[in-house]
Amino acid sequence: MSFLSVEEIIKNYDGVRALNQVSLHVQKGIIKGLIGPNGAGKTTLFHLISGMERPASGKIYFKGTDITSMEPCEISLLGVGRTFQTLQIWGNMTVVENVMAGMHTRIKGGFLSCGLWLPWVKRAEEEALKEAKEILEFLGLLGRWKWLASQLSFGQQKILEMGRAIAMKPELILLDEPAAGLTATEVRQLAERISQIRDSGVTILVVEHHMGMVMEIADEIAVLNNGELIAEGTPDVVRRDSQVIEAYLKSTRADA
Amino acid sequence: MVDSNQREFRKRDLFYVVPLWFLSLILPDPHLDHRKESRFRWRDLFYLGALLLLPLMWPDTHLHHLMVLAGINAILALGLSLFLGYTGQISLGHAAFFGTGAYTTAILTTRYAFPTLVAFLASALAAAALAYLIGKPILKLKGYFLALATLGFGEIFLVIVRESPNLTGGVIGIFGIPWFSLAGFSFDTYLKQYYLIWGVLIGLLLFSKNLIRSKMGRAFLAVAASEDAASTVGMKVAQIKIGAFVLGAAFAGFAGSLFACVMSTANPEAFSLSLSILIIMMVILGGMGNLYGPIAGAILLTWLVDILGKYQEYSLPIYGLILILLLISFPDGIGTRLNIRLIYLISYWGRKKRRERVEL
Repeated sequence: MSFLSVEEIIKNYDGVRALNQVSLHVQKGIIKGLIGPNGAGKTTLFHLISGMERPASGKIYFKGTDITSMEPCEISLLGVGRTFQTLQIWGNMTVVENVMAGMHTRIKGGFLSCGLWLPWVKRAEEEALKEAKEILEFLGLLGRWKWLASQLSFGQQKILEMGRAIAMKPELILLDEPAAGLTATEVRQLAERISQIRDSGVTILVVEHHMGMVMEIADEIAVLNNGELIAEGTPDVVRRDSQVIEAYLKSTRADA
Repeated sequence: MVDSNQREFRKRDLFYVVPLWFLSLILPDPHLDHRKESRFRWRDLFYLGALLLLPLMWPDTHLHHLMVLAGINAILALGLSLFLGYTGQISLGHAAFFGTGAYTTAILTTRYAFPTLVAFLASALAAAALAYLIGKPILKLKGYFLALATLGFGEIFLVIVRESPNLTGGVIGIFGIPWFSLAGFSFDTYLKQYYLIWGVLIGLLLFSKNLIRSKMGRAFLAVAASEDAASTVGMKVAQIKIGAFVLGAAFAGFAGSLFACVMSTANPEAFSLSLSILIIMMVILGGMGNLYGPIAGAILLTWLVDILGKYQEYSLPIYGLILILLLISFPDGIGTRLNIRLIYLISYWGRKKRRERVEL
């Protein structure tokens, strides 16, 4: 059984079939790109994997566990982190607190022990702060760790959201359009960082419209169109697939 | 460079730079360093000194009584600010937990002759237990629906209290609750009660400060900003909401117990919807997501209600007008607004330094 496997998923939104019999398998330790035109069902698939929505039929397995009908927090406890296409950063907290909040489940303590600031809570908080700063250094945001997250630029907020996902030490990260709205330099840095995260042993599933970046970093690519999986394989195979060119690459060229 | 005008320093800025600098010495910090707010600092010593000396410098029993009530309201507001200000959920039934606390103390001390300290702790437990039972189903609701459900809960509480004379004394209430006493020392004057209540408040404030700087504080803020994101990092959103609700209720239980001991009566009129709304006003006026703000709001509103009592039938319109004016000039709370001005100033100085460095 593969690391993450999606089996014949069907998802409807009020009569619109968003995903039709989609099956997807992700091996451990790779970057898998998920591409397709707008409305192809990529984000829907992410919502299903992270448990925010339920499929009409089909099963999703993560590390052999059936996660189809689990709550989002249970799924994230199994080791699935994600970012959002529409930014979901906590603007009411500082940058470092955002990352520390990502470590929520790894810090010990309940309401009473936190309120009384017992010794182990103090120690855990200090360790969390140190670790959060390391993550921010890796992402290049350490200079702004005391800022409110809402004061960061859009691109930095996207990177911070990724930092929050890393902070929970997941085994699988779902990145929903991490490069949207970033400048060319930032995209290059982002690609480098995503590869580094993969090299540290984390599996990554990434939805992205920035074709250059996906082709560069992904080990495997799956293409969705109108809720159906039309191609799957290495970047070179997908790039030459006639159906993909027909459905996606051509249409984006026409748009541009 | 569209808004370069706003960034230039103008002469009129001097008018508020100096007063703001003075205020910055005593006001809570802007939210720039996530650990600063929780450290004990010189300004905390200033607050503490002011609290200790105020009743001694101003030996007026009416003022002492007013500050006792303000302290009780501040405990209520502090508890609600955890739920409303930090977790971002609304509760229009907070007075019911206050009432639960007061009645628990009243019944335990007058009928079963329990010591007040035991009744004090039992009151918080009773309020917390009630909040847990109510919160479990109710907190699945959001926004307006949660407001309506908590409003309904508050009214149901009042009806139950009024209609069960055997337990709560009905509309007449319970009389003759003894003074709060601790190891034989009885808090029988307003001055002693003042120190008792503000002592309890400081204890609860320290507890809240610790909670806010820990993982739980971050979880509260995360739930307020985005529940989806909170659940993707493994936070159990329902559990966190109930936790904040139960803690707020426990604070209200403490406040209710103290209130019963101070007033020596408990009757349903004191726990109506108007109190719930008053507490919410204290939190909003003081500033959401800020621990000192609700306390300042409680003192301000208690004092305002007392002053306006002189004007009899005109008091309500004047009260409403003042609230509207305050909310227009401080739309996000007194504490928060001043913090924003301070952040602006600090970042202005930061920008200026940076600009000079670039020019060199």
